[in-house]
Amino acid sequence: MASPAALELSRWQFAVTAIFHMSFPALTVGLSVLLAVVQTVYVRTGNPLYQQIFRFWKKIFAVGFGLGVVAGTVMTFEFGLNWGVFAHAVGPVIGVTIGMEVITAFFLEAGFIGVMLYGEGRVKPRTMALASWMVAIGTLLSTTWILSANSWMQDPAGYTETAGQFHPSDWTEVLLNPAFTYRFPHMLLAVLISASWFVGGISAWYLVKQRRAALPLARRCLSIALGVLAVLMPVQLYLGDATAVFMAEHQPAKLQAFEGNWRTDNNGYNLLVVPDTDRGENDLRVTVPHLGAVIGHDLTGRAEVPGLLQTPPDQRPNMWSAFYGFRAMYVTALAMFATAFTGLVLRLRGRLFDSRRFLRWLVWMTPAGVLAITGGWITAETGRQPWVVYGKLRTTDALSHLTTAEAAASLAAFVLLYSALLAVWVRYIVRTVKAGPEAPSDTAAQPAPGTEAPVA
Amino acid sequence: MLEYATYALVLLALGMYVVLDGYDLGVGMLSLFARGERRREYGELIATAWDANESWLVLAGVALWAGLPGVYATVLPGVYLPVIGLLLAVILRGMGLEFQSAAAGYRRGWALLFGAASLAVTLCQGLVLGGVLSGLRQQGGSFGGGAFDWLTPYSVLCALGLVVLYLLAGAAWLQDKTEGTARERAVRAGRPLLAGTAVAALVLASDLEDADPQRFGFGEPVRAALYWSAVAGAVIAGAVAWHGFGRRPDWRPFAGVVAAQVCGLLALVAATAPVVVPPGLTLHQASSPPGSQAFLVVVVGLCMPVVFAYNAYAWWAFRGKFTPLPEAPLGPLRVRAAGPVRARPERGGLVVLVRRALLTVLGVGLAAVSQDVFGGVATWIDPVGIALLSGTALAAWIAGDRRDHRAGVFDLDRAEADPARGGA
Repeated sequence: MASPAALELSRWQFAVTAIFHMSFPALTVGLSVLLAVVQTVYVRTGNPLYQQIFRFWKKIFAVGFGLGVVAGTVMTFEFGLNWGVFAHAVGPVIGVTIGMEVITAFFLEAGFIGVMLYGEGRVKPRTMALASWMVAIGTLLSTTWILSANSWMQDPAGYTETAGQFHPSDWTEVLLNPAFTYRFPHMLLAVLISASWFVGGISAWYLVKQRRAALPLARRCLSIALGVLAVLMPVQLYLGDATAVFMAEHQPAKLQAFEGNWRTDNNGYNLLVVPDTDRGENDLRVTVPHLGAVIGHDLTGRAEVPGLLQTPPDQRPNMWSAFYGFRAMYVTALAMFATAFTGLVLRLRGRLFDSRRFLRWLVWMTPAGVLAITGGWITAETGRQPWVVYGKLRTTDALSHLTTAEAAASLAAFVLLYSALLAVWVRYIVRTVKAGPEAPSDTAAQPAPGTEAPVA
Repeated sequence: MLEYATYALVLLALGMYVVLDGYDLGVGMLSLFARGERRREYGELIATAWDANESWLVLAGVALWAGLPGVYATVLPGVYLPVIGLLLAVILRGMGLEFQSAAAGYRRGWALLFGAASLAVTLCQGLVLGGVLSGLRQQGGSFGGGAFDWLTPYSVLCALGLVVLYLLAGAAWLQDKTEGTARERAVRAGRPLLAGTAVAALVLASDLEDADPQRFGFGEPVRAALYWSAVAGAVIAGAVAWHGFGRRPDWRPFAGVVAAQVCGLLALVAATAPVVVPPGLTLHQASSPPGSQAFLVVVVGLCMPVVFAYNAYAWWAFRGKFTPLPEAPLGPLRVRAAGPVRARPERGGLVVLVRRALLTVLGVGLAAVSQDVFGGVATWIDPVGIALLSGTALAAWIAGDRRDHRAGVFDLDRAEADPARGGA
């Protein structure tokens, strides 16, 4: 059996590579839909504004997409590299699901991305729009398959077990497993929402800075982003709640861990806990009385939130990661809801583009969606522990035959490379945004692109 | 029999990968020999295709996982370090390519990173291939050997051989896609690289037989016939490429190299099947249950014609010699006919405070509705509330957007278009 150190290191490596990878689709899926829409509008109206919008977001999308692809390639092989026993056990089931993702989604994106990014002048604008739609459909399909595979690990269905390997018995049940029906819509909205904050935040920055050549683009994109957000945020909170209720039934330990209670004696909502895993209690707890019960659909405020001591010790997830992952998602979600609601009110009052305080706040919200998605995934994955396939295969039994040195070397290399890559990527976004969109041709006599008009 | 269909799928993906990513890795390595700014052009050359080319590697990996999990779970831990190296190099290469392409001009660092990472990817691939062909120790269905089992003289030779092969593919492809200096350099490198590849292939093939002679049953007539016809095919294709270097039509060397690569892969398979991972892991032992394989092969088989069709279209869209095509300048933005949209001054005082307080209460209530807090009272309350809220938002969005569009909010403002008058 592999050493505990190799196991810990491999878990960290998976966490680092998965979170890093996820931060790219969190932006590029939604951006691909935006790009397809604006290219279509450009074809239909001929308004150069939409071409300007397409070209501007394309710059960020192209690099993010490329980096997302290479970071995703890592994921494909990592299942076998570090988790050989897991890979062997689940290959016949979710290996196939991910195979479907590659052939229907990954290939579709990759096949059309070249035309979409470099096709201008070589193919008709109409074809560019078609290619953009194909890329967008590819990214959405990809989300679908990946959520199906991951949800199967959360709540396996439609299989039989033979000699330590899972064999499919009903593909419909495997692919449309119960957890998938809750988690897929939640994740689909999440990626659209996170891209909207990104687009909205950057657009708001141009409005705050009164960047002349960017103002029509900024208003147009801000209107789209806040429209999407105002419509989707209420639905997303509902889906998130439904997912939590589902998990309370199917993975009770996950809910117990992310609510931060040990004993089942608290009807409050914990804002802050310092759990002591060995003693099975919290060293510190900041709680809002009755709120936990209310969020749990008991308006009398008396129902107690289930605690982690209900779960046997060898089946408990780590409370730290589940609790703070969930809080990161939930607190951000409330901020997002409040901001989207404020945006709706401002729109109804006709002040969307000139409420400077709101626009400044939106700039801060730029990474909100990515943050929430990261927190959500940390909750989902660490809350499933100690299982890798819930209730069936323990993470400790899933590791490859690896030496600690191998695992340490690869983890160190990934951490170093990804830190550098993250820094370069963020710098690239900042520089691209600061450089601004391409100036339209009628402004030749005007200041060069990038210089700022005087601010009122 | 099903496992042979799965194996065919894996081989198809692997073959497509070697053919397609082979040339773009080769172009990457050749960019190291180009001077200064010319390096950037090498990256531009493959910018439209590298992503699609690399997808085949992912398909090969996933088809192995789904169809032959025994191989996937044995090979990847067995060649852990070179595969990690390969993945890191793939990331660095993507990084170099993307950031060079996104930069306004030539960036020496990114261009060099792209070239060096292309070399690293190729070397690691060769080590993986050589390590697997040298044999991996198995234990109960998965890998049971040491961390450096893959490091053998054979795997090092394999890595060097693969570098030469990909350089050859890159040179052949450059003759097809470029004119002028780049083409000339490619043409000059072509024949020496072809000779080098032939030597490498001979050495690697003979060493492979030495490695485990009792496994290769060349006494079987079918196997021998397949093997030798594949070898003959590779020789003919090599001769076509040799003849084609430096002569028009320019596509001929690349076609020859591709055919030679395919024949080489077939020869390797003919010699080793049904063993997938030497010394003894066979297709039958490694495969998934029939239900998984059938699903995989049928769905992928049905998708494949479509995949080939759109990949062929993408290839066709960028056919012919590479010519950099700067984007057409952006047309003039619409300028608002009406005057500037001025912000109405906000009234202060008690009215605002009361309004904000009421809106805050409303917002908290709506957040509660959205989270299904009233689900305990009646299940319909919250979905209806959300439908009303989201419906209102949608209506407000559409109406507001149209109003703004008519008012010219999304057009350039005269005042904004003229900075002299802009600062109000």
